[in-house]
Amino acid sequence: MTSFTYNDMEFSVEEGQGRWSITYRTAEGKTGVVGAGLFAGVPADEIEARVRALIKTVFPVGVRCVGPDVAHPLMIGDLKIVPPDVTHPNFIYWDKDSSSSPKQL
Amino acid sequence: MEIKGSVAVITGGGNGIGEAVAKYFAQNGAKVVIVDMAQKNIDRVVKDIQGMGGEVIGVQANVTSEADTAKFIKAAIEAFGQINIAVSCAGIIRDGTMLSLDKETGKVNRKMGLDKWQPVIDTNLTGTFLTVRDAAEAMVNGGWPGLLVTISSVNKVGQVGQLNYSSAKVADALLPKIVVGEFLMRGIRNVRCVGIAPGYTATPMLTGMNQEALKAILADVHLGRLVDPNEIARLIGHCVENEAINATTLEITGGLCYPGGIAK
Repeated sequence: MTSFTYNDMEFSVEEGQGRWSITYRTAEGKTGVVGAGLFAGVPADEIEARVRALIKTVFPVGVRCVGPDVAHPLMIGDLKIVPPDVTHPNFIYWDKDSSSSPKQL
Repeated sequence: MEIKGSVAVITGGGNGIGEAVAKYFAQNGAKVVIVDMAQKNIDRVVKDIQGMGGEVIGVQANVTSEADTAKFIKAAIEAFGQINIAVSCAGIIRDGTMLSLDKETGKVNRKMGLDKWQPVIDTNLTGTFLTVRDAAEAMVNGGWPGLLVTISSVNKVGQVGQLNYSSAKVADALLPKIVVGEFLMRGIRNVRCVGIAPGYTATPMLTGMNQEALKAILADVHLGRLVDPNEIARLIGHCVENEAINATTLEITGGLCYPGGIAK
């Protein structure tokens, strides 16, 4: 079994019959399952990278940088509102541990 | 397309019809992505599928959010390398008539607010649109054979007290025709789209209701019982395997009729 901390959550990765299960525990003690029966046939040295990539996708953390959708402004009278565009190439997830983010005072 | 070896994303997969669909696909050898708002439901279904020896991930997500939709589509590809089936089961109800009258004055004393209208449209229609859109994008870009499934309802014909729900569900029934027409127009041949319109189904919402009211509902069902979620799951499984089913919405109601015997 491997364990690591990401986004203030403790993840456990367990192997059984060549397949992998991922569970987590939050700082508040809540537990959950990310997946089971995963990565059959994947070489052992690639498992951790696959697990981390999946976890970062399922639990994105921190701030998002969102490009304004200047091509599609909303007009309210003469007022032009440029909303965020989640399809913009600048739309990214902050994928570092939240402990590296500034804490709100 | 075969179920075995396919990757299926099921929104609302944590209970009801979605749970049955997820388990049916897992039993038949598909890799499954459970998307739900409630982590405890995800955990339960993931553990059940794990017990069957299945391959499964669970993603807590809100289908009305573009960011969340992108997240569970990406997670499916991270875990399993592709997406072949997307079933949009996530749905809610907020029943009520558009206007309610005061019994004494006959004047309107209450009207359906956006608090009842918007969440139903957002979840049942916009959520379906986002799931179908982003799953289709992945299937087209990946070159994978795919089936998109919307969950409509027999109440697409128009049910009093469900202006919000029926409005969303009639759109969910129409969506496969338009989507497949656009696929044809754009030269997209590897992805199909079908809708499923269940009748009264044995989900906790109905089985837990007043039994006399349930009896009254069943009086109009030729089959004499609620549709089992597993029967809906098997129909969706058939749609996966039968490629001639496309651009249409299939009803599965047990023979729901208007009083007097005309099929709804």
